[in-house]
Amino acid sequence: MLKTALTVLLTLSLAIGGGAASVWYVLAGQSGTGALTIGSWTAFPKIGAPDADPYSKARVSREGVLALGSAEGVAFTAVEDSTGRPLRLECNYRIEGIAPPARFWTLFAERRGSASMGVTETGRLSALNSQGVVRRSDNTFAVTVARSAMSGNWLGVSGAGPMAVVLTVYDSTVAAGADLAEASMPEIVPLGCEQASPDTSKDEVVSDAR
Amino acid sequence: MRARLLHAALLGLIGAGIVHIVILFLLPDMSPRDAWSRLAGQADTYQVSTYAADSAISGPAGVADPFFQAVACRFDLADGVTHVHREGRVPYWSASVYDRGGRNLYSLNDRSATDGQLDLVVLTPDQMVDMRKSPLEELENAIFVEAPIGEGIVVIRGFAPDGSSARTVSDYLNAIECVAQTS
Repeated sequence: MLKTALTVLLTLSLAIGGGAASVWYVLAGQSGTGALTIGSWTAFPKIGAPDADPYSKARVSREGVLALGSAEGVAFTAVEDSTGRPLRLECNYRIEGIAPPARFWTLFAERRGSASMGVTETGRLSALNSQGVVRRSDNTFAVTVARSAMSGNWLGVSGAGPMAVVLTVYDSTVAAGADLAEASMPEIVPLGCEQASPDTSKDEVVSDAR
Repeated sequence: MRARLLHAALLGLIGAGIVHIVILFLLPDMSPRDAWSRLAGQADTYQVSTYAADSAISGPAGVADPFFQAVACRFDLADGVTHVHREGRVPYWSASVYDRGGRNLYSLNDRSATDGQLDLVVLTPDQMVDMRKSPLEELENAIFVEAPIGEGIVVIRGFAPDGSSARTVSDYLNAIECVAQTS
């Protein structure tokens, strides 16, 4: 009698626990159904659309998101550099290349998993937009992501820990069309990491790549 | 005994699959945190209110785009057609119409609007038929969005590339009118 009760309990807890946990796992992940990956960047172009897959629909309602429409724009998130290592706030990166054709774009950095915007050590937002970014003559750009101020286009961050970088293109043909998969996205080149202590000067940058 | 445990585990796994699918399809209708519920907590229907910055305007990243401001207005087409309009110009605006579940049904930006002016009418196909029969004069330049829905949400977003434009954009967005009109 007790044995029967125990096996029933095992079955039920496995079913309910396993079912709930697997849904949570899929929805919390950056990849998965409905994701489009270009290099280090991932976008959910169909998120919020009426014909989206069930996972995208569940994501929308769970997070209370009112997603950007196709005439508005599309957001690309990167959590890894071009060599596949996780982005970290204490490391320096160069985001280099060309953004998909768009009226304008914005670029910002945040601590992964935090609900608030990243800031520099002086309290400025860790954010740039295409109107404030200097471009080279061939229309490419290079933005340096670092905690200490850099010459050129600088995306300042502060603190330590895992980082996510979000590039959003607005009023873009790629957001509306099927050529999204062929959009060219900038590369995220690692430039090495500073020591863990926040007052490390630029001279101590360890160059482990390039 | 072992056979019985194996049987239980197998049943549990199959059950987990079923539970996974059930939760997945129930989530959109059951979530207490969806956009509609949160907006309902901060403003009445037809009241234009700031669409909270913590609500991931740009997607599942977690943080909203810091260069953007947004306002939302909940409507119910049972009250008549919904007219969203505002005179004047900002560097960039875009608007989206969502159904109650937060699905994006239609979006546009200032370039697709007449003369860059925000003048938008949301109506059901039935109301569209009536509107064609007897057009309202004040809506002659409006963009008509036909949506087979009852309740819904309109969100208007504005781009403020620098600190000095932030004030202009927020003034513009907060003065948007969102009204129900009966013909």
